[in-house]
Amino acid sequence: MNGEAILPYLIIIPLFGAFAMPIVSLAGKKAREAWAVIISALTLVVASAVFYHVWKTKEIIVYTLGAKTPFGQGVGFPIRIVWEVDLFGAIMVLTVAFVSLMAVLYSLGYMKHDTGLEKYYTLILILELGMLGIAITGDLFNFYVFLEIMSIASYALVAFRNDTWEGIEAGVKYMFVGSIAGSFILLGIALLYGQYGTLTMGYIAVKIAENPTVTAKVALALFIAGLLFKSGASPVHMWLADAHPAAPSSISAMLSGLVIKVGGIYAMARILFSIYSPMAHSIVLKAYLQPYINMSAIGWLIIIFASLTLIIGNAMAVIQTDMKRLLAYSSVGQIGYILLGLGIGLAAYGTQTGEVALAGAIYHTVNHAIMKALLFLVAGVVIHEVGTRNLNELSGLAKTMPKTTFAFLIGAAAIVGLPPLNGFASKWLIYESSAVFNPVLGAIAIIGTAFCTAAYVRVLYTFFGRPSERVANARDPETSMMLPMLLLVLAIVIMGLLPWQISDKVMIPTARMLEQFKFEYINALMSLAGGA
Amino acid sequence: MSDDMGVIVKTMARATIPLIGIFGAYVVSHGHLTPGGGFQGGATIAGAGVLFLIAFGLSEMKKRYDKHLYSALEGVGGLVFLGAAMLGLGTAFFYNTLWHNGPVFNGDPGTLLSAGYLPIMNLAVGLKVFTGLVSAMVGIALYRRWKS
Repeated sequence: MNGEAILPYLIIIPLFGAFAMPIVSLAGKKAREAWAVIISALTLVVASAVFYHVWKTKEIIVYTLGAKTPFGQGVGFPIRIVWEVDLFGAIMVLTVAFVSLMAVLYSLGYMKHDTGLEKYYTLILILELGMLGIAITGDLFNFYVFLEIMSIASYALVAFRNDTWEGIEAGVKYMFVGSIAGSFILLGIALLYGQYGTLTMGYIAVKIAENPTVTAKVALALFIAGLLFKSGASPVHMWLADAHPAAPSSISAMLSGLVIKVGGIYAMARILFSIYSPMAHSIVLKAYLQPYINMSAIGWLIIIFASLTLIIGNAMAVIQTDMKRLLAYSSVGQIGYILLGLGIGLAAYGTQTGEVALAGAIYHTVNHAIMKALLFLVAGVVIHEVGTRNLNELSGLAKTMPKTTFAFLIGAAAIVGLPPLNGFASKWLIYESSAVFNPVLGAIAIIGTAFCTAAYVRVLYTFFGRPSERVANARDPETSMMLPMLLLVLAIVIMGLLPWQISDKVMIPTARMLEQFKFEYINALMSLAGGA
Repeated sequence: MSDDMGVIVKTMARATIPLIGIFGAYVVSHGHLTPGGGFQGGATIAGAGVLFLIAFGLSEMKKRYDKHLYSALEGVGGLVFLGAAMLGLGTAFFYNTLWHNGPVFNGDPGTLLSAGYLPIMNLAVGLKVFTGLVSAMVGIALYRRWKS
């Protein structure tokens, strides 16, 4: 199977689905829903094929838009837009496609009573498209375009239920914060383009290593600032706690599970490890006493934000009475873990500890996407059946909604990190590496988990408590809402049964590919120069 | 209650709407030769629609505006764009096969029928922007909540 040949279909299929949606929906409601499911299922098939190809060959796919080679005629540098997919990108592609399909399936039942659904399904496909684009792109401006596609679709989806002010307020707030973050990132891209005259990530990496100027450092600061905003790290997490609960639950699942990861964590990892290659700066240039950018200091910077994030996020989750708000704060906390892994991976670059931390961060990104999607879908079922998300009124749901409560139990146990489930392995890798790297960080990570446990035990205590009148008539939802939850539970359990196999076969190679000790990301692009 | 703007504005609008439309169509179709392109031309044509909406009022607009037609046309614009990008998929996504291999739109640079898929894409984007902006304006006009 040829990876290059199937890669564009990752963009073509959801784009075709989104554009054709207004026409298909002329044929009626059923056609529209079937169309959304078919398109996202096809995308999942293509995503699995891309992932399998990259995983099998361990080679980076480089795809040029508009020509055979990214290099212009008679010039020695890339001038065209390229897509570069390494294993981390491929993992994100697979996760995005899987969770999006679950969200679309869930929407069939959950959004049944809403109007304007053709716009809803168009936007959900465009949101998926934007995230897939971020995961596969190898061009900075192309990355920005996809980031904005993703962001604008999510602003609109947060405010989709515009019959309440809550959604509109959260959407507007999200839009302001997102635009500020987006302009930081755009300014960073503009600075790099002005300084080095190229936008191709692999080639910018070469130029920055040749001449690490102050401009490159300022651009890095702007990227980190913008992407911390987008990923919802403390102290700029305030939009997340408004936007994620206000959206319809299927969208909350995508926002918390995917958008903050792809638009925040993944993009940050790509910029830190592929553009500001720590191999070049922390090891090669430093050894030869050349000017370099101190990437381990950047790593520490991220670690500081990560520690703040995971304490504040998890602690805020404990005191919430709104179920979806609790889940949103818990997302902030889990982002803290992922950032911690990423920061240690950068600060301890080149050591075993750094590699394990990075693998843990990537693993937790995938795991948290699945767990948080499940938890938000459960919250959606509760809202759908009971009509409230106030935890004080939800006492005793376990009696009337046993299957839903079971799904929540699995999701909560996984996110806390109980051993037979998938959250355990990834959190363990992060604890282990942070304790080896610096015991204080290990302690902070454990404290975060203590808060996280407290928050989820509180919800479970409510669910298993004495039944209140409010929940007496609630019951488990219809199949279209139950099925995605069951599939996510299955994914959690299966991934939980094979923790170290996944870690050794997928996550460690991914971390190694991202660290690019042999400049794989740059070489995959520059090796095409001979063919021009 | 009449929500139009009176006979003077309506007469002027009758005279200028076709001219605005023609100018927009010119910008779209010469997108690959002169400044502007699909988006700018489409927005200009949508300006004619907005002028119609303001001059003749929402009730007149409602008679002539078909939501399903406009959203279907917007979809068609997007699909044509995607289709033009997929023409050269044998080489690469967005490969300009019409320009390199023909059979149409491969004239001398600077002539109207040149530049391969660009004129097609400009037309598609123009259609999409025009229908999208008009729909957005009608949407905004319909949801004026402060007017009871």
